[in-house]
Amino acid sequence: MKRPNKKIFSRKQFVILIVFISVGFIIGYSYDLTKEKRIAGKVDSQQLVREDVYREELINQQERNKELSEEVDQLQQSIRANEKLLIEGQEHAEQYVKRAEDLRLYLGDIPSKGKGVRVLLEDAAYDPKHANPNDYIVHESHVFSVINELKIAGAEAIAVNGKRLNANSYIRCTGPVIVVDGQQFPAPFIVEAVGEQKTLSASLNLRGGIIDQLLHDNIVVTIEENDNIAMPSTNAEN
Amino acid sequence: MWLPLLGLLLGLALGLLTDMQIPVVYQNYLSIAVLAALDTLLGGIRAQLQGVYDDKVFVTGFFFNVLLAAGLAFLGVHLGVDLYLAAIFAFGVRLFQNIAVIRRILLAKWDAHKNTAKNK
Repeated sequence: MKRPNKKIFSRKQFVILIVFISVGFIIGYSYDLTKEKRIAGKVDSQQLVREDVYREELINQQERNKELSEEVDQLQQSIRANEKLLIEGQEHAEQYVKRAEDLRLYLGDIPSKGKGVRVLLEDAAYDPKHANPNDYIVHESHVFSVINELKIAGAEAIAVNGKRLNANSYIRCTGPVIVVDGQQFPAPFIVEAVGEQKTLSASLNLRGGIIDQLLHDNIVVTIEENDNIAMPSTNAEN
Repeated sequence: MWLPLLGLLLGLALGLLTDMQIPVVYQNYLSIAVLAALDTLLGGIRAQLQGVYDDKVFVTGFFFNVLLAAGLAFLGVHLGVDLYLAAIFAFGVRLFQNIAVIRRILLAKWDAHKNTAKNK
């Protein structure tokens, strides 16, 4: 009994202390660990939620990407279609340009120049046998028939005494002169036409055709093939 | 009386402050160790109250039980049998028995104390 009194605590108490410290340590440590696990679990669930959100975003993005790439495909296809159309259009365009040129020439919107024929219509020399001067002067009907013949033969542009004719032109007879689109012209009349020279002169010279009729009406007709016939547009002022 | 309490607090502080990490696999051992420690503690208290306390038995019982429980759990993990359940069961039963015995002894003591006070 002496020994325990000398020391602060007895051996028995020391052993108990050790045991209690151990128990406390184990319990505390276990508690600590479980707490960490709980926190970790919470973090895990938060992470899971976040992961879900991110995954959803990713899926959305991928779907959007898919849609966009499909759109790109469609657009590229339409571009290709348009390019094809463009190429076809270019092929057509040449034809259209040519046709537009023809139509402009026909309307007389642009000056015309090129190979063609020139027809000179002159009054016949005075012949005292004929009492009526109407029998040997050039009438507007003669000019008409020449113009019509040239048009039928495919003339690109026609001018009378340098006055360009268009689709709406008119020719009137006013005594010894004729009026073309409000402008008076005396004889002789020069009808110029741009076009295929061979076709034009051939159609004029048809047997029983226009030339024969004109000659029959005592008109002096001169047909001349000219490689450089120029005429202004209808809008040009003489 | 203050010494065991001090020891318990010291141990708790140590345990809470320890930042040691152990793998998840070994956390079963820890739970069993906790049970074993509690069981031995209560057994010691009961023995004390019954007047059969022996510090050698107490100390060896404490450490041996803890080690045995851990060893059992280890064996169970390696054999594929949940042997730690057996340890938990055994310790749980003994825990309740010990607590019941302590309660009865304390009740008997209290009654005796009351009687003596009456008699006076």
